[in-house]
Amino acid sequence: MMRLSDLDVVQPRTLSDALTVLCQRSGSIRPIAGGTDVIIQLKDHLLQAKELLDISGLVELRYIRREGSTVRIGALSTYSEIIESPILKDSCRMLVEASKTIGVVQLQNRATIGGNLGNASPAGDTIPPFYVLDATITVHSHKGIRHVPVEKFFLDYRKVDLKPDELITEISFEAVERPCEATFLKLGLREAHFISLASIAVWVRWAHEVGNFSDVRIAMGSVAPVVVRARKCEEFLQDQPLSEDVVWKAGEIASGETCPITDVRTSAEYRRAVMPSLLYKALHTLIESRRMWETR
Amino acid sequence: MERLFSFKLNGQEVSVSAPPAHTLLEVLREKLDVTGPKEDCGRGECGACTVLINGKPVFSCLVLISQVQGAEIVTSEGLMKDGLPDYVQKAFVENGAVQCGHCIPGFIVSTEALLNRISNPTVKEIKIALAGNLCRCTGYASIIRAVEDAARMRPS
Repeated sequence: MMRLSDLDVVQPRTLSDALTVLCQRSGSIRPIAGGTDVIIQLKDHLLQAKELLDISGLVELRYIRREGSTVRIGALSTYSEIIESPILKDSCRMLVEASKTIGVVQLQNRATIGGNLGNASPAGDTIPPFYVLDATITVHSHKGIRHVPVEKFFLDYRKVDLKPDELITEISFEAVERPCEATFLKLGLREAHFISLASIAVWVRWAHEVGNFSDVRIAMGSVAPVVVRARKCEEFLQDQPLSEDVVWKAGEIASGETCPITDVRTSAEYRRAVMPSLLYKALHTLIESRRMWETR
Repeated sequence: MERLFSFKLNGQEVSVSAPPAHTLLEVLREKLDVTGPKEDCGRGECGACTVLINGKPVFSCLVLISQVQGAEIVTSEGLMKDGLPDYVQKAFVENGAVQCGHCIPGFIVSTEALLNRISNPTVKEIKIALAGNLCRCTGYASIIRAVEDAARMRPS
């Protein structure tokens, strides 16, 4: 049986070197960055590899920057770097808040945003935010670059549109600025170091009147093999003044768009039942924060 | 298949020969006899293996030895000053925050990193910083008291 200590580790100095190695040995070599998922999967024998391609030293993939209204995050940025980023604090607080809820400090210091995307867990907590941001994932290979809309990237349970010779290099999206706003919420069994039972990200573009929005995007995590956009719910909410009745009805519609399973953490029924409350809380948070900036 | 790795460990330059995909924790304990960090879960849930890499707490059971080449690593052993416990270690002892002691080296370095970042943390900030360290003996009240005390004792 393969043991972790039997594996060789290749450490390229540049992205271009990494892509060359990946092209030559695709199939037998496995990329590793922060290692917080990959090392566990290797220990559990869920992952087969002869060699590891350690890309954690590629500083060229470690950046958070803003170009005009576009925010670009290099794949090797850690959650800690996201949490501490002044750019993201202004341009996408939702992602900062989501990152704070992932694991604990020891994990946030190692785990990378590219890893969260590549690992493609239905409970990956940065993924619902990226769905509502309509983010774009950039992948590089020896042959060139591809830009994949986030929704097209996740194909099925832990299956992504990434070939063995490709690396995730960047995720980019439009900054969230007034009159737009976004929030992320997740539900777990305790307050720290927990995996989502269900999660929701909501992005809105407010209309002139308080309580109305001209555009809304909703994505739900941990309730299907991949994160799902609640499109019927979005359509229902479009151009509709918010009221208690409307929000609860919208929650029911969103709940109908999930396809959850029962697992060690909770039941499918619970995941479906809790979605209206998550939507209610998320919209409530957004309305409150709009009131805050209206009264300021 | 072993390779030579060099890094700074508790203030000293070390070079050690190890398989490149050994975890940092395995190398610390089995090759370098640094046994403060412990292996309990081996999957980043318990925090007993916590060490500081370049000042930041990480789970050493989820880091490859290849990934720390040239880095600066600190374990609880490295905090002793002239053979005596430092202010964090002293605060844990004085507040009865230690029972079996197994998890404490992890708590100590997590606390050290917290106080280097926030010199006077709130209880909430302490809880967030220590959420990745589990203790099954004491409950956490005395540990939180120890951290508050350490913040007061911290040399400026």
